[in-house]
Amino acid sequence: MEGSRPLRILRDLAAITVTGLFMFPIFWWALTSIKPISAVFDKDRVNFFDFVPTFINYGVTLFGQSRSQLAIDEGLGMGVAGADAYDSRQSILESIIISLGATTITMAVSVFAAYAISRMAFRGRGHYLNWVLGQRFMPPIAILVPLVTIYKTAGLRDTDNLYMGYLGLMMIYALMNLPIAVLLMKSFLDDVPKDVDEAAMIDGATRWQTFRKVVLPMVKGGVAASAVLVFIFSWTEFLLSLFLTTDIRTVPVKIQTFVTSTGNEWGFIAALGTAAIIPSFIFILLVQKHLVRGLTLGSLKE
Amino acid sequence: MSSVNIKNVRKNYGNLEVVHGINLEIEDGAFVVLLGPSGCGKSTLLRMIAGLESVTAGDIEIAGRRVNDVHPKDRNIAMVFQNYALYAHMKVRDNMSFSLQLAKRPQSEIDEKVGWAAKILNLEPYLDRYPRELSGGQRQRVAMGRAIVRNPAVFLFDEPLSNLDAKLRVQMRTEIKELHERLKTTTVYVTHDQIEAMTMADKIVILRDGHIEQEGTPLDVYDRPANLFVAEFIGSPSMNLLKGDVTAHGVQLGDGTVLPLPAAHRARQGQKVVYGIRPEHLMLGAGAKARVNVVEPTGPEMHIYAELGGQEICVVTQQRVAPARGSAIEVTPQLDRVHLFDAESGKSLA
Ligand SMILES: Nc1ncnc2c1ncn2[C@@H]1O[C@H](COP(=O)(O)OP(=O)(O)O)[C@@H](O)[C@H]1O
Ligand SMILES: [Mg+2]
Repeated sequence: MEGSRPLRILRDLAAITVTGLFMFPIFWWALTSIKPISAVFDKDRVNFFDFVPTFINYGVTLFGQSRSQLAIDEGLGMGVAGADAYDSRQSILESIIISLGATTITMAVSVFAAYAISRMAFRGRGHYLNWVLGQRFMPPIAILVPLVTIYKTAGLRDTDNLYMGYLGLMMIYALMNLPIAVLLMKSFLDDVPKDVDEAAMIDGATRWQTFRKVVLPMVKGGVAASAVLVFIFSWTEFLLSLFLTTDIRTVPVKIQTFVTSTGNEWGFIAALGTAAIIPSFIFILLVQKHLVRGLTLGSLKE
Repeated sequence: MSSVNIKNVRKNYGNLEVVHGINLEIEDGAFVVLLGPSGCGKSTLLRMIAGLESVTAGDIEIAGRRVNDVHPKDRNIAMVFQNYALYAHMKVRDNMSFSLQLAKRPQSEIDEKVGWAAKILNLEPYLDRYPRELSGGQRQRVAMGRAIVRNPAVFLFDEPLSNLDAKLRVQMRTEIKELHERLKTTTVYVTHDQIEAMTMADKIVILRDGHIEQEGTPLDVYDRPANLFVAEFIGSPSMNLLKGDVTAHGVQLGDGTVLPLPAAHRARQGQKVVYGIRPEHLMLGAGAKARVNVVEPTGPEMHIYAELGGQEICVVTQQRVAPARGSAIEVTPQLDRVHLFDAESGKSLA
């Protein structure tokens, strides 16, 4: 990188500061998840590391252990009855199903849509970006009430039919993610020179073969990156899930139930929250290279 | 192998016509170069032959068959692109065999053809590599390999060497030429580089703004440019072009200098003309006086840039002379090498 030495140092400092600012809450969250309650609620000071780490919060939320039993085992004496309200395994499963389903639907549609926008000439093609940005302007809450009514009428509520409930949530997540996924995929596809399509066509490939055997394999990194992004959006979505489903409780909704009338279970909230970050974190690491490219390079051109 | 016939072909993008009625006959086995500055419509014409662009008007025939509405894959052509357009996710072997795979040829035939092409192109050690693991020249050869395995009727090249460095370009030029000598496949080759055109072509077609300025063998267009555009475009350093008026004694330049004319010419007395003489046809020694600006030794020859009659000229000589800046030299044109153009129309008067 260019720039004088003091400038470089300043820039590095700025980068570290910003990263630190963003990372600290996550760090604090993770730290809270292994604190015993006495350390969470230390009213005399901010307790950083002065505690004996405990995995009780993970044990209860992720492994279905009984809270009161664990409390006794660890000698913490904070036993509260009503054990399995905090067991989140069912929610995690539901979240995985819905996020994977939504990601599959989104990618299946967006890859084709993006290919058409990138490669074929048709009316309105140039307005695509406006459509995407327009979508982003609208807060989801604005469509919430009509959506709940529509879902009720269409029988897409889980209270009527559990499977339709899953499908309904997948569909709305797919719809929400489609614009950004198409935009991302278009930027990856635009990076593949059109000459390649033409070479394949001259080599005797049909349009479908060109797509399937030549273009798609060349953007598979981009597909993975977009899929991860869609997955994370679906994985973390709260509002729609809260309103559109009742029996199905995705992880964000489940966490919210830990805020109870008798007190907030910070330890469980932190444990489930931290655990929920982990898949996103791993996926992002895997596709980081492509994601940065797709989100910066040319994604806003045309 | 087969001929290509282009009959009064036009191309419109929207309302804009970029190719204005081109007629061109390309004989079976010929190596024809479409030469012209960027934006003149070379690629458009080539892509129409390939079937990658529709033809707005006129006909294109390959081997006597009208192909205007024939899909590229059914035209029996192969094309090499400027940026190679290789399939990045396939090994060299699969890049080359892709067309045969699609055509469902038996594996034994595919192996044989790919082996044959790899041998010709010196790609045998690289068959199991990916394009990204190859140098620019090797990638170019893979692109050519992909073209030749199909044994097409026509090869189309669109500025295939532009992305290579100068040295490699010269080497690949020779390789492509050799390949053509060997396979004798009809070839249409697009370039903006006149040296490439001169060295490779059987026939050069010079294009400007969507129409043909001149066609002929390399030496034809070099020795007998039909107009000022061709005269200036072909040759490096380019032809000296001096504005003047025809008098009884020759062509008189602005400052009164008179340059001699050959006995036979079609210019009228008093006509405004452009006097053309290539740098290597200007002899040093008694003649018109010029003032030296710069001298550039290239090794085999000296390029002397000087001012003659208020206009810049270049003299190329093999003599080891290096006159100082500002010093006077005298130059004489070789009479039989003089070109004369009408100043207004730019057409040759020779
Ligand atoms: N798809 C297109 N739409 C509109 N104009 C085009 C298109 N392709 C090429 N042109 C125009 O046609 C002319 C010829 O282009 P091209 O054949 O690519 O030139 P060359 O290959 O000689 O550099 C140029 O003026 C170019 O701007
Ligand atoms: Mg071109």
